[in-house]
Amino acid sequence: MHPVDTMGQNRDGAEYGFAFLDEDAKRELRRSIFKAVCIPGHQVAYASREMPIARGFGTGGMQLTLALLGPDDTCKVIDQGADDSVNAANIRNFFALTCPGVTGTLRTEGASVIQTRHRIPELKLRADQILVFQVPYPDPLVVVEPNAAKRRRMHGRADYARLWVKLYEDMVAFDEITISHRYPTRINGHYIIDPSPIPRFDVPKLHQADCLYLFGAGREKRIYAVPPHTDAVPITFNDVAFAVESFRDKTTGKRHVCRRCGADDSFLDEFLDNDGARVFQCSDAAYCDMRLERLEAAK
Amino acid sequence: MSVLDLPRLWRPETHQALFRRILDVAARPGQIADLSDLLDGRPAALAALATFCDNTQTLADLTGGLSASDLAFLDVGTAPVETAGFILASGAGAPAFAPRLGSLDAPEGGATIVVLVDNLTDGSTLTLTGPGIAGRTAVSPSGFAPGWLDARARWCADFPMGVDLVLADPTRVAVLPRTTRIKGA
Repeated sequence: MHPVDTMGQNRDGAEYGFAFLDEDAKRELRRSIFKAVCIPGHQVAYASREMPIARGFGTGGMQLTLALLGPDDTCKVIDQGADDSVNAANIRNFFALTCPGVTGTLRTEGASVIQTRHRIPELKLRADQILVFQVPYPDPLVVVEPNAAKRRRMHGRADYARLWVKLYEDMVAFDEITISHRYPTRINGHYIIDPSPIPRFDVPKLHQADCLYLFGAGREKRIYAVPPHTDAVPITFNDVAFAVESFRDKTTGKRHVCRRCGADDSFLDEFLDNDGARVFQCSDAAYCDMRLERLEAAK
Repeated sequence: MSVLDLPRLWRPETHQALFRRILDVAARPGQIADLSDLLDGRPAALAALATFCDNTQTLADLTGGLSASDLAFLDVGTAPVETAGFILASGAGAPAFAPRLGSLDAPEGGATIVVLVDNLTDGSTLTLTGPGIAGRTAVSPSGFAPGWLDARARWCADFPMGVDLVLADPTRVAVLPRTTRIKGA
């Protein structure tokens, strides 16, 4: 065993070093993260390690988080905004098992590192927080160019003509850009990224944020970043404004509100209740709970 | 479970803490990370190298300041400055070398240059703008020859290719990624 592997103190006698990955793997991840931050939006290739869950279930995000975490961190994991779905709960349990000292939390404001699948929390993230995205498909050019080497060259040259044509074809066929999530977003005027399957609603939060955004694709072996205070502009045409989900009722024109906490400013999940009625509820469970607590306290 | 009595700078938990502080200032050019509580008197530049180097990487030490023991702990290959992934250089004189700039396809191949400066806060002011900076900010390194700014401007002229600088005084570091625009005093 490499001597550094003996440093972690493991719960239940499990034979893991701190944060599961060996130090060489973490150092490679850290080098890649560093270069990703220095070249905003560029997909840095890295040697995605085997994790104890299948690729495609968040291994890229997990490796980033494991390379970041130290014993004084507080970590939150969400899946589509919720802390208690299977993917999020199991990843959080894995961090608890392999990162002794790291505190788990459900509260957005209390977390130093937040790993997310497909949402950005409603609460504005601070400069001392890092948001780690689980990314299924890192390359926005994959829909217009199958050859990976050509895509890398196109990215380097900021040659996105064919992506614009794709958006134009959407306008011709449907009178609107039909991309609902994974909206191509230009970072610092050069690279266009796939911001992972976050809804359009979350895309503006990438622009000139206070926090650092890191993206990890485990299966596709890519890491990229949007640093704080960096331009992140969803691509669109001069005469076609980028629009986020409005949640307006088609008949009344009023915005739907969360049925639990009454929020009228959050991203809403729409579903049918037991009686078959359409209902709306905050997708960000921690935000919803926080509002409920405040409403209770105000009573 | 045995715990080796490694000097503090070479322990994994130190590397994790160093990385987070360096990442923090890499994401926010111009901000300065104080590493003194992690160093046990060793130089911050060595700590930056310890955070990133291992036997898959190459280093060119232009200062000649790394001891045999430091190099053994870094476990890093040596290479000519033209091909090294990491370069340790003195900020006192203008650089007279040509570092790796990466390629259009893989700009992350551009070198990371750790530049030794005298002090990060008592020199002439450099005004910084770009990603990671709200509006504008400043850093004031002393012992950082103006020739460095000219060389860096040349190396970083063709974004995305370029080099990333880690400025290190004895106990602190600041990062100047290739995207940062610098106006000298």
